[in-house]
Amino acid sequence: MSLEIESMIRYTSPINPAVFPHLTFLLLGIGIFFTAWFFVYEVTSTKASRDMFKELLLSLVAALFSGFGILFLLLWVGIYV
Amino acid sequence: MRLPAMAKLQFTLFFVLFLTIQTLSASVDTISSDIKLKNVDRTVDISTQLVKVVSKIVLENSGKSSVKHFLFAVEEAAKNNLAFIGAKDSNSKDLRLAETTVKGYDYVKFWRVELKEPLNAGATVNVVVETVFTKALQPYPTAITQQEDQFVKYVGNLYTYSPYYTSTQKTSVILNTKTVESFTKVKPFSQVDGTIIYGPYANVGPFTEKELSIHYKNNSPFLTVTRVERLIEVSHWGNIAIEEVIEIEHTGAKLKGPFSRYDYQQDHHSGPASVRAYKTLLPASASDVYYRDTNGNISTSNMKVKKDSVELDLRPRYPLFGGWRTHYTLGYNVPSYEYLYHSGNEYLLKMRSIDHIFDDMQVDELVTKIILPEGSTGIKLNIPYSVTRLPDSLHFTYLDTKGRPVISFIKKNIVENHIQDFQIRYTFPRLLMLQEPLLVVGFLYTLFLCVIIYVRLDFSIHKSEHKD
Amino acid sequence: MPSTTETLPSNGRSKGLFQNTAGLSTLITVTVLTLAWLAGFASRLFAVIRFESIIHEFDPWFNYRSTAYMVQHGFYNFLNWFDERAWYPLGRIVGGTVYPGLMITSGTIHWILHALNIPIHIRDICVFLAPVFSGLTAIATYLLTSELWSRGAGLFAACFIAIVPGYSSRSVAGSYDNEGIAIFALQFTYYLWLKSVKSGSVFWSICTALSYFYMVSAWGGYVFIINLIPLHVFVLLIMGRFSQRLFVSYSVFYIIGLLLSMQIPFVGFQPIRTSEHMAASGVFALLMAIGALKYLHSLNPKGQWKQLLILGGMLAAGLVFLAVVLLTYMGVIAPWSGRFYSLWDTAYAKIHIPIIASVSEHQPTTWSSFFFDLHVLVCTFPVGLWYCIKNVNDERVFVALYALSAVYFAGVMVRLMLTLTPVVCVLAGIAFSILLDLALREDEVPEQSPDSEESKSLYDKAGKVKKRTLEAAPNADTGLGMNVRSGTLIAFMILLMLFSVHCTWATSNAYSSPSIVLASYGNDGSRKILDDFREAYGWLSQNTAEDARIMSWWDYGYQIAGMGNRTTLVDNNTWNNSHIALVGKAMASNESAAYSIMTMLDVDYVLVIFGGAIGYSGDDINKFIWMVRIAEGEHPKDIHEVDYFTERGEYRIDSEGSKTMLNCLMYKLSYYRYDSGGSPPGYDRTRSALPGNRGFKLTYLEEAYTTEHWLVRIYRVKKPSEFNRPRLSLAKRKISTSNTISKKTSRRRKGALKNKPTVVKGKKVGKLE
Repeated sequence: MSLEIESMIRYTSPINPAVFPHLTFLLLGIGIFFTAWFFVYEVTSTKASRDMFKELLLSLVAALFSGFGILFLLLWVGIYV
Repeated sequence: MRLPAMAKLQFTLFFVLFLTIQTLSASVDTISSDIKLKNVDRTVDISTQLVKVVSKIVLENSGKSSVKHFLFAVEEAAKNNLAFIGAKDSNSKDLRLAETTVKGYDYVKFWRVELKEPLNAGATVNVVVETVFTKALQPYPTAITQQEDQFVKYVGNLYTYSPYYTSTQKTSVILNTKTVESFTKVKPFSQVDGTIIYGPYANVGPFTEKELSIHYKNNSPFLTVTRVERLIEVSHWGNIAIEEVIEIEHTGAKLKGPFSRYDYQQDHHSGPASVRAYKTLLPASASDVYYRDTNGNISTSNMKVKKDSVELDLRPRYPLFGGWRTHYTLGYNVPSYEYLYHSGNEYLLKMRSIDHIFDDMQVDELVTKIILPEGSTGIKLNIPYSVTRLPDSLHFTYLDTKGRPVISFIKKNIVENHIQDFQIRYTFPRLLMLQEPLLVVGFLYTLFLCVIIYVRLDFSIHKSEHKD
Repeated sequence: MPSTTETLPSNGRSKGLFQNTAGLSTLITVTVLTLAWLAGFASRLFAVIRFESIIHEFDPWFNYRSTAYMVQHGFYNFLNWFDERAWYPLGRIVGGTVYPGLMITSGTIHWILHALNIPIHIRDICVFLAPVFSGLTAIATYLLTSELWSRGAGLFAACFIAIVPGYSSRSVAGSYDNEGIAIFALQFTYYLWLKSVKSGSVFWSICTALSYFYMVSAWGGYVFIINLIPLHVFVLLIMGRFSQRLFVSYSVFYIIGLLLSMQIPFVGFQPIRTSEHMAASGVFALLMAIGALKYLHSLNPKGQWKQLLILGGMLAAGLVFLAVVLLTYMGVIAPWSGRFYSLWDTAYAKIHIPIIASVSEHQPTTWSSFFFDLHVLVCTFPVGLWYCIKNVNDERVFVALYALSAVYFAGVMVRLMLTLTPVVCVLAGIAFSILLDLALREDEVPEQSPDSEESKSLYDKAGKVKKRTLEAAPNADTGLGMNVRSGTLIAFMILLMLFSVHCTWATSNAYSSPSIVLASYGNDGSRKILDDFREAYGWLSQNTAEDARIMSWWDYGYQIAGMGNRTTLVDNNTWNNSHIALVGKAMASNESAAYSIMTMLDVDYVLVIFGGAIGYSGDDINKFIWMVRIAEGEHPKDIHEVDYFTERGEYRIDSEGSKTMLNCLMYKLSYYRYDSGGSPPGYDRTRSALPGNRGFKLTYLEEAYTTEHWLVRIYRVKKPSEFNRPRLSLAKRKISTSNTISKKTSRRRKGALKNKPTVVKGKKVGKLE
């Protein structure tokens, strides 16, 4: 069984741990921006002027960026999930 | 070549039968009268809390046929204390050992040592057998005051205990102290510095026992790790986290009477048998080391990064006198490229089943748990010595849904020689790593959806007015 | 976020612009509140950054231990928990003597997080609970102030309370105590009360009652709410401001709140049986009476019954008061308890209840601590108060009453500075908002506000300008010169900057010490950590028997139980004064008398704190005179306080000290074999003296462990079986018999009885010997 170890290569992370901080700031920043946009849209629109499609799209983009940003925040802090 | 199913089944059956017969027959041996021990040079090191016996054996084949293996025996009195046994030949290559029994000698433990090349008739070969015994040194007196030195008693065998006839033998006992209360005096013997040399003794028959007891001063740390739980968590984002929960007890002579802080501080030689600090060696790439217990961080520690290891100088919260216990948690991170290998979706983790806690350590119980990423399948464990495997369980931590598989095994009576690597193989599809961020995204999206639904709801019963 | 001060519904022409501004202003409000939360959270983290995430002080250890117990055993086991490891041998009914709100809050957060597979340890949740709730308090204060005045004032008040030292002193990270969540509940309840008075809706009153229920579960200071709200209603009634809204809101709140508050086991039936709660009931009865009279009056509104109405009202008030007094006299209603009575009669505690007087937090407040805890707010809050009284309406009466009562109580006890802080922040926020409004008011063009620090707030300019100009039209002197305006603004900014600098400095220096871990700084700035407490408790938990009993002064009881996990005799709950007095008597007596008490109490180890080696001033010898006083209260024949002072009345431990002092158990346990400590050896650095009695031996105790810097000393009490064998010399072991020669010879073997009565058959024996 230990024959195979010569054919195996060392495992490294798909994303270099040195860029975790930069990715966190970037992704979380964009996520917060979209969240704020969504929030302002919700507060300023009335029942008539609401557009469901725009809401869903905005929240999807915000959730995507924030979600990945939170993942990299966790990895940067040391919680290797 | 594709075999039909029936043939496959028959082949497997025969193979299994063959294996069973081999193993069954292998566990019973007979003592060959051809083998003689020409010379045995025994070094018994009892300067620490362990009894380390290194026997340099010169085997002689006095029979006519070649001999492939020989038997090594351990006395009945010592067999329960045996923690480790290993054999090497003259080129320092490991020899295979297997535990075996001999009819008529049920009370003795035997090991069969396989020689690398068969020993021809009339030839000799050099073999070095190393055995380590734990809890073989008894503190005598069993309780001492704070100022007194610690004296221990060693009871062993003056002659090499062997199923074969020994022509000449010599035993040197390393004490590292000149303060010896009493020791067995069987001529010829000599006491040089911190060593007592017995021998050479000639023509000793097989299975001879003669009591060798030495009562001497031994102030080396008598610490036993009663339990260590080692947790290894593998993350595919590039990190392996290791945490050890350790319970340590001072198993030397118990402390009798009061503990005086004044004496302990003023007199540097106070408490000679007490343990103030000890050094733990961690792997070289260890980082983010923490040392704490249930009440919080323990600040009395020093870390030195060396070339091939990280040396931690650990001081427990209080000095350990006889009978005193303490516990702590030690944890660190190592990068995954040191220990994790892969090819495609197959992964292999090669790590130590136990790591260095302090020099000449003696561990009563080890529980090792390995946590693999969620979604790992096809897990196989491979360890160089025998352990008891506990049932697999699940561990839930950040961003888990189904739980991570935990492989655990337990082993008792461990010493430093057991610091060896285990191998664990598993399959993990790389795409599953995306499950973690997508879980967070999904959670946030449901929150947003709740907001979208909430602003469309109307709870008013009727329009209420505000008076001022 | 609903805000009833926004009055721009029907301005169709520039709807787009308004809506944009409204959305933007809401965004700014949310951003400022989030930043206030972050600032409040961050300023409370000094202790965690300097040391580690650990529970501080004494009381939080009990709260932590209860929370850990609840998390491990479930809620109902916690509610029914009888703790036999405290107050040995009496035990303590924890479920019935604790306010469970804090534990329930942490337990709920723990449960939610673990259900989401976020494995945060309960200790970290407990440590960080108070900073998280400080952010919520800021939001609650914002809501309260915006109900009272305006959104801008609300933002100011929120930012103030986020960082003010008066509040952060009791809610730093690690201070896991009731006040951390109670102030949030207080502010939120007051906000909901104002909302319900303003709207008169049953919905808001029920919300108030629910929030009041949370407050009752959280803190004993709920008595403040249940007296302030009735006082508010009473003052409104006197001012003639009775209205249907008031009637609905108070009656719903009182009934539901009363029933909910009695659900807490610790409160039980107190709300209907103690004087502290009688004000609420009395005002309820009065309100009913007034409401009935008003209804009758409304049936016949000719005005001739007005005097009758007033007379009837006063008669009703008098009747209610008499009823309460009668019931108190008859004993049905318990009189004011000692803790609350000492707020009125400040000298009461020192004479009658020395335990209350001995706590340093119960001393009167000094002038400097007002400024230290509140800085510039304490100067500006009378301005806000004056404006509230000038523009009075129902809500502002409430805040005026709150301010006046809080100022009185804060003057009585240092601990109650905490109840003054929220109202000071509210009123100071109003004052600053008015000031800023005056300085920045423009008629047409909105001016660009200066670039301020993150903790300063912006405000809803457009809306406010509209409102103010409508009301300010009749006033002629509205214009301020350009220079005055900019000068005021700059001074104002500097003041606020100084405020935030002071708050951070005060929190960092004065209120962020964990008191479990001490740190000293060397000459080169290097830090040496003195971890003696945890060293001692760790030793206790590992090297003593599982059921060992530890005797120490009540200060350390919770810590021993929490960190050392051992049974204690007395702890910080101080519910049994005689038990504490017994421990005090043992500490104050000489060794043999103390030994008889210790064997009676079944004590295994004694723990004392001794600071003489490092100069730690909070040790047991400094607290000793309180032990004597408390012991004297229960055992006046055995212990006399004067014995422990010198003839001149000084409290000394050197050769001038009194004989009783130099031979008592506390002295001996502190100074046993203490011969280090610099020059001369044995010097006590805390008292700056050389102990008078040195080189003595202990007969009944044995030193078990002393920590590295001599801070904690643990002694083992020898069992009686180790003693009742006095050492006899060999000669004394033989009992010598008398040298009488036996009269028995080989012939005469029969012995003889002395004075044997001669019995002759048939004859009566005259005298029997």
